[in-house]
Amino acid sequence: MKKRPAEKRCESSGESQVSELLILPDGQVLVHNLTPTFAGLLAGLNPDCEQIASRVTHYESHHHELPN
Amino acid sequence: MICVAQKRRAQVQREAVGVQALACSEGTLKRELQHAGPDQPSLGSFGAARTGAPRSVLARKRALVARAMLADCRFCAHDCRVNRLAGEKGLCHAGAEARFFSAQTEVSDELELIPTFAVALSGCDLRCDFCITGASSWNPRAGAGFDAQTMAARAKAALRDGARTIMVLGGEPTIHLPAALEFVSRLPETAKLIWKTNAHGSAPARELLDGMFDIWLADFKFSNDACAQRLAKVPDYVRVVQENLRWAAGHSELIVRHLLMPGHVECCWQPVAEWLAANLPGVKVNLRSGFWPAWQAARHGELRQRVLKSESDRATALAREFNLNLIP
Repeated sequence: MKKRPAEKRCESSGESQVSELLILPDGQVLVHNLTPTFAGLLAGLNPDCEQIASRVTHYESHHHELPN
Repeated sequence: MICVAQKRRAQVQREAVGVQALACSEGTLKRELQHAGPDQPSLGSFGAARTGAPRSVLARKRALVARAMLADCRFCAHDCRVNRLAGEKGLCHAGAEARFFSAQTEVSDELELIPTFAVALSGCDLRCDFCITGASSWNPRAGAGFDAQTMAARAKAALRDGARTIMVLGGEPTIHLPAALEFVSRLPETAKLIWKTNAHGSAPARELLDGMFDIWLADFKFSNDACAQRLAKVPDYVRVVQENLRWAAGHSELIVRHLLMPGHVECCWQPVAEWLAANLPGVKVNLRSGFWPAWQAARHGELRQRVLKSESDRATALAREFNLNLIP
């Protein structure tokens, strides 16, 4: 009798690095797990979006490059 | 699903194998704090500073206590009392070892917290059909194995690279207290730590968490047990959450989140707002209006759509009416 592979089937291989995005017909963008890079991209697409812009600004004001 | 028979089997098994579950009573932790000694360096604003013990030291000791408590799991209010060390599963289905499905610097949380290095542990004790990360949050086997040392190194690198805070979330991190506390024990004393929770934890869990995190970022999703049962399959929700929020407000900084849902302004948001105004005046509140019908939301008619603008406007008006301290 074939053994059920239920345990393995539910286990994924590793972590994911994702942002979930929903673009509505009216152009509004909803996003979850927003990374700084993705926020920068969205800000470029829609510079008038204050919510995204404020997050980019917050990130840029705290981010600094590590020394080589 | 846990059942009475399973609980009984868990109790018998604990006795049979002689597992000594460390009781996490108030007295136990008070003694633990006293033993930590008064001569340790101060920790600034951390709750642990009241005891004089470094947070990392307390966290390491509590991680061991929490690990032993897996033999009789009472971390969340479901109070399953299963022996997770022996492979038994409670309602969250989590085993003894934590996994994580995301660890990255993010900027989508409250402005005063970002950029935050957010570590999302797999598995949850609630079953919110509208969960935006439902696939990973409901599945404690999702993602990769969590190694506290490795993750602490990543967190420290993120801090060096400009992250302001470190956030532990899920799923629900309460069901993985041993891993979360071990993680804390490996983080710098000065790191600002955030505990992102569904506020459905138990009193023993709270005791272990006391002084470990600077900020509790806690959900208050429903303000009646009928909505909570129907949409998240959780009984006695309101009492448990209110108890946790009161505790959190007295033991750390607290930010309360409410995800505005379509059709739930009057039944859920309004009473939440009223309760917060009456019981936690001035507490920071983040009213989130970005609901979208994710995961299994379509099981519920009213959740198959987004929040209407009229609902969002009404919710904001209620917040003003109750003089809530809304934060972006």
